[in-house]
Amino acid sequence: MAIKAAINAVYVLSEDIVSREIEGELIIVPLVSGIGDMEDELFTLNKTGKAIWNRLDGQKSLRDIVEELSTDYEDPGGEIEKDVIGLVEELLKRRMVVKVPKG
Amino acid sequence: MAHSVKGLTAWDMALRTNRIVICYLLSVDMKPAAIQTLRDFETKPDLFSKKNGELKLSGSDLVEMLRAVLDKGASLRFRAKGFSMSPFIKDNDIITVSPLTDVSIRSGDVAAFIHPEMKKLVIHRVVGKKGECFHIKGDNIPDTDEVIPVTNIMGRVTRVERNGKVISFGLGPERFLIAFLTRIGLLSHLLTPMWKLVRPFVKRMAP
Repeated sequence: MAIKAAINAVYVLSEDIVSREIEGELIIVPLVSGIGDMEDELFTLNKTGKAIWNRLDGQKSLRDIVEELSTDYEDPGGEIEKDVIGLVEELLKRRMVVKVPKG
Repeated sequence: MAHSVKGLTAWDMALRTNRIVICYLLSVDMKPAAIQTLRDFETKPDLFSKKNGELKLSGSDLVEMLRAVLDKGASLRFRAKGFSMSPFIKDNDIITVSPLTDVSIRSGDVAAFIHPEMKKLVIHRVVGKKGECFHIKGDNIPDTDEVIPVTNIMGRVTRVERNGKVISFGLGPERFLIAFLTRIGLLSHLLTPMWKLVRPFVKRMAP
């Protein structure tokens, strides 16, 4: 079943990942069953993905992130929202981000 | 679509395609940052992609990644480079380094440590202990052992994989004998004949 991301929800990076910026590239190693696997489970984000990733701080909703990115970049055809939702759904599927409960 | 190309009045037909690409990239660079779209300058179409073994980390980057993973109490699985631990760990074997949480490191263990002078990650065998330092040596190098402060030791190798198989020989109880032979400098002389002798058993032990 596909995991859906909600535009008004807040997400934060999971505790079970290690990420480092190496030579301008964001490298993510998920810790699955206590192992970070650089051989078979290593992920990278491109610049667009990194701009979104850096804003997943557990404070801003996805709508806030879209608005923030829209002030810095042109947004023909609502591409930013599609990218933000698409990336967060991909990260949710791999348990790299978690939804922050409303409080 | 026509591209305007400043400074190029004659086209070299043989290189035409490449030059269009180069000039197009240069012209994009002239747009002010505030009106770029998010995807401008993007060289990779996927926001998120799996990279796996394609990534070659420098020594310091690998140390940083290893430290970050071990600090979370997790292990790191990565490809080892070099021949100093052959035949127990060979070049391109995949090793798993685990944190030193519950069990302290002992003679015979294969340690991952930061070399005090070279400042890089080294994977060698512990062959003895003196105070707060360990004597550590590569199984396949005739040099004298090195004295490494306990604070430089990051973790212990807990698994070795080669060609999709787990290689447990060298990490089990035999590691004490290997450490002893390494310490007295006999292992590198005995390796070739000994390896021929034990190889059939090692093959049988592999799942």
